[in-house]
Amino acid sequence: MDWLIWLESLPLSVWVRESGSLWSYPTVLFLHTVGLAFAVGMSAVISLRVLGAAREMPPPALEPFYRVLWIGFWVNAASGVALLIADATTKLTNPVFLVKMICVGLAMGSMVAIRRRLGAAASGTNPGANRITALAWFSLVAWSGAILAGRLMAYIGPVSGVDLS
Amino acid sequence: MTVLADLSAWLDATWLSWAMSGGYPWLWPACETLHFMGLALLVGSVGVLDLRMMGMARALPVASVQKLMPWAVAGFVVNLVTGALFFIGEPQQYVANIAFLMKILFIVLAGVNVGVFYLTGLHRRIERMGPDGEAPLGAKIVAATSLVLWIGVVYWGRMLPFIGNAF
Repeated sequence: MDWLIWLESLPLSVWVRESGSLWSYPTVLFLHTVGLAFAVGMSAVISLRVLGAAREMPPPALEPFYRVLWIGFWVNAASGVALLIADATTKLTNPVFLVKMICVGLAMGSMVAIRRRLGAAASGTNPGANRITALAWFSLVAWSGAILAGRLMAYIGPVSGVDLS
Repeated sequence: MTVLADLSAWLDATWLSWAMSGGYPWLWPACETLHFMGLALLVGSVGVLDLRMMGMARALPVASVQKLMPWAVAGFVVNLVTGALFFIGEPQQYVANIAFLMKILFIVLAGVNVGVFYLTGLHRRIERMGPDGEAPLGAKIVAATSLVLWIGVVYWGRMLPFIGNAF
């Protein structure tokens, strides 16, 4: 696995892992958590509305929050890559990481599919309403799976030494 | 500090503390997972209300977004319970931890901010706002303060192992 060792030896990886600065590993981890809060938070609000929470909110009016969702997603893609290359030999060989990526992919996919059907969610009798309900459940379950898998990366499989949290 | 030391020693001797700190090895990660889910639910629903008051998604009537607040409270309660379990599990790593103190302070300030929103009657002025309405400046300040404080709570929580000594 030479390429994993190479990834870990990149200047960014070494800095994130070993600098000891609050601006490296701790700040990247903080950004990853804030990104989670906004990506999963916006997804949860949209999915809950589709499932009938706060019915007074017109679903199409929630559309602008997709921008916040995507910002959270990209913050986490970037911070996630930094955390990943810092501990490539453990994280990239951990099957739990693959499970996490599949969950994130399914969650984002279902949120994109929900976006195209927000109009259908506004009228409960629309034939699209059943599908969007299923998608909303699916996204909530997939995000829960992603969070669970992310946590378990610190406990199961090859665990990187620096991840104390 | 001796009161805190006594409390910490007393908690440490409880069954719940034993269960959290390794008695049931799955319990700590399970609570962490719930803590992250609660965080997302809280920041998500509060965030939508804050961002709407700050001028985003104007087609959304503010009164309708306030119906999300029970979900924010649910997220907060999940995190209060799981947070209390972390504290009971490993009290000594929190009692003398500056990041933990800051986290509690920020949570209290976020609570004061909610109090300001309701006690000054801002929430009633907001409720009367229809779609496309613009929130008064006071409400915008409360909303921005709320976002900063909750992101701050996440920051201090994340810094527990790095500025303090918790894991």
